[in-house]
Amino acid sequence: MTVQSPPLSAQRRRSAGWIGALTSTDHKRIGLNVAICSLGFFLAGGVMALFIRAQISQPNNHIVSDQTYTELFTMHGSTMIYLFVTPMAVALAVYLVPLQIGASEIAGGRTTLTGFWIWLLGGLTMESGWLAGGGSGRAGWFSYTPLSEAQYTPGIGQDLWTLGVILAVSGTVLMAATVTWTIARHRAPGMALLRMPVFTWTALVSVLMVVGSFPVLVVAMILLYLDRTAGTHIFVGYTGAIDYQNMFWFYGHPVVYVMFFPYLGCAAESIAAGARKRWFGYKAFVASMIMFSVLSMSVWGHHMFTTGGNVNEAFAFTSTLLLVPAGIEYFDMAGTLIGGAIKLRASLLFGLTFFLQFLIGGLSGIWIASPVLDYSNHNTYFIIGHFHYTLFAGSIFGFFAGVYHWFPKVTGAMLRERLGKLQLVVMIIGTNMTFFPMFILGQEGMVRRISRYPQHPGWGTLNLIESIGAGIIALGVLIFLYNVWVSLRRRVPAGADPWEGQTLEWWTSSPPPPLNFPEPLPPIRSYAPLQDLREEAEERQRQQEEAPA
Amino acid sequence: MIIPALISTRHEYWSLAHVYAPIAIGVFAIVFLVVLVSILRYHRRSRPARWHENNPVEAGYAVLLTLVAVFLLYLTFGHEHRVDTVANRQKPSLTIDITAARWVWQFSYPKYGIVQRSGMVGNQPLVVPTNEAIRFNMTSVDVIHGFYVPELEFKHDLFPGSVQSQVLTFTRTGTFPGQCSVFCGLRHPEMVFRAVAMTPSAFAAWARSKQRTRS
Repeated sequence: MTVQSPPLSAQRRRSAGWIGALTSTDHKRIGLNVAICSLGFFLAGGVMALFIRAQISQPNNHIVSDQTYTELFTMHGSTMIYLFVTPMAVALAVYLVPLQIGASEIAGGRTTLTGFWIWLLGGLTMESGWLAGGGSGRAGWFSYTPLSEAQYTPGIGQDLWTLGVILAVSGTVLMAATVTWTIARHRAPGMALLRMPVFTWTALVSVLMVVGSFPVLVVAMILLYLDRTAGTHIFVGYTGAIDYQNMFWFYGHPVVYVMFFPYLGCAAESIAAGARKRWFGYKAFVASMIMFSVLSMSVWGHHMFTTGGNVNEAFAFTSTLLLVPAGIEYFDMAGTLIGGAIKLRASLLFGLTFFLQFLIGGLSGIWIASPVLDYSNHNTYFIIGHFHYTLFAGSIFGFFAGVYHWFPKVTGAMLRERLGKLQLVVMIIGTNMTFFPMFILGQEGMVRRISRYPQHPGWGTLNLIESIGAGIIALGVLIFLYNVWVSLRRRVPAGADPWEGQTLEWWTSSPPPPLNFPEPLPPIRSYAPLQDLREEAEERQRQQEEAPA
Repeated sequence: MIIPALISTRHEYWSLAHVYAPIAIGVFAIVFLVVLVSILRYHRRSRPARWHENNPVEAGYAVLLTLVAVFLLYLTFGHEHRVDTVANRQKPSLTIDITAARWVWQFSYPKYGIVQRSGMVGNQPLVVPTNEAIRFNMTSVDVIHGFYVPELEFKHDLFPGSVQSQVLTFTRTGTFPGQCSVFCGLRHPEMVFRAVAMTPSAFAAWARSKQRTRS
């Protein structure tokens, strides 16, 4: 009997090798390309962070010049946000969403591919500023006007930074748009919206926010570019400065949640798989994701409490209300664990660490959502500690939960569990050494973006601890890279479903073939169709045992 | 008529912080314990439970969360009203104009004709009397700067083209560091100053001696 292979439209007219890999419209290839490139940016941004920590490890160091320091913190933040955490979140969605909803392709694969290229071009444009005479972008990752105007930050480096943001963010919008379109139009028969897996829901609200808010940043950056190069005076005076901040944070707060939700989805899927129980409270979870995204589009003014240019009560109100959907997520996490048959895998442990460490970022976030508390802690290391607990101690741990969960699916090979747990322990130690003392330093008045603090010799000890912690984080990242290398060199085959997966991506082979599902899909009656099959089989077996002989 | 007590931003900050902090620590402890106990209890089981929903419990929990949010907002709005509104209705006994520039602080006392300059051009402190309401009029001549004195647990941004006011009160005598809190370019780390708070009589003596040396 011959096996009829499906029409491989994704493979038609594809060249092999590098060119083929970089021009493929297969969502898995594009997702992987974005992920690999953004991991490269992550390593670059991490090296910048190590230089920053070296410079401020003592009150009056002269490891890098003041000029270089301003470039380092600008490019560290810009690289991590525009080029790593956000695009990685979208990359996860591009790779996983079509698989999870039983689609054979992403909608508009050429658009996704175009988005990838525009984003990458933007990243390279931004980083090419390092080669520019006069230095790279150096007005901070949010580059407030008037500082970012040509008068105060002259030079081509800041121009390249502005162009880079325009391109990188535009590319991200294109990729996110195709994910939205895929969810709208390409769900498999039976895959109702309220049967989409947990990760897909987190991805959906993220890509909706990308499409809804990121274009505002593109416009702001085009206007800034005109101000810098064409002699316009758009962001002039007090109102101009406030306009810029409103536009920036209308992007800049939703992006925080784009950098959170998909990683929450990673943690949730890995915890559900590890507890061998489907995610608890699905409907409340979906409702909380929608409430979360609606609120997070309306909290941007809490970045501007000290400007006198916004209604602080309104933004304190929306920001504090965020504790409601966030609290529901934690309840669902606990409800999934309780009653489970927990297997302590690296992915589950990374997922739980995500929840616990993110909580420190979340609780400190509710703190600074109060204007009176923010008047003191704004722009100090308290803020740096807060958002690194959400972005690094949170999202990055969620990212690694996802990596340990889906690496077997993507590559067909298992990652080494023991190396994964070693990496986890090293990174927990490094993360908390680096970021916890920041709350104390910020409370004592250490402001961000200073390369030296000779008038405060007492801050040296905590800063030294933080810098050592940064080195320990770097060690954890090296352990991860070694794990990937060794796992791909000496492969332990994963099979289609190494974890008793609950969602459709575990139905197909690892890695999935072009067009994803050569076999017919199982019936889709819930957000965990493979778990349904398993439970039905158990039920049948139980009935057979109970049936009288 | 009752003369209201002076509003201290430091006092407002700490009285609010002393409510927020225990709640935050308590929430973290509860979540940490739940995760730890669940792992210890359920990691040897062979068969997971099937239940995955309990709508009444979830709804009750959501109501509880909303009540917590309402409680925190009630407290916050009260304190914010005092700092943002009531404080600024106080009649100040002294007005100080702060002008920030890259990378200089200029504190001028129109009543006395005194001008103090700190940052890259000098080290003349911001001198203030304690337990008196002081109106600060803040502006910048170039980019955005931030007037931040950790002792006050307060900061405010200074913009070109806008003069913004805040009435503040120092409650303790002493010398306190202050710093620009908004990144303003290459010499941002050097845009520092000291605030010297002294008793009103000592302040009056300082102002007189300062005026003498000027004339």
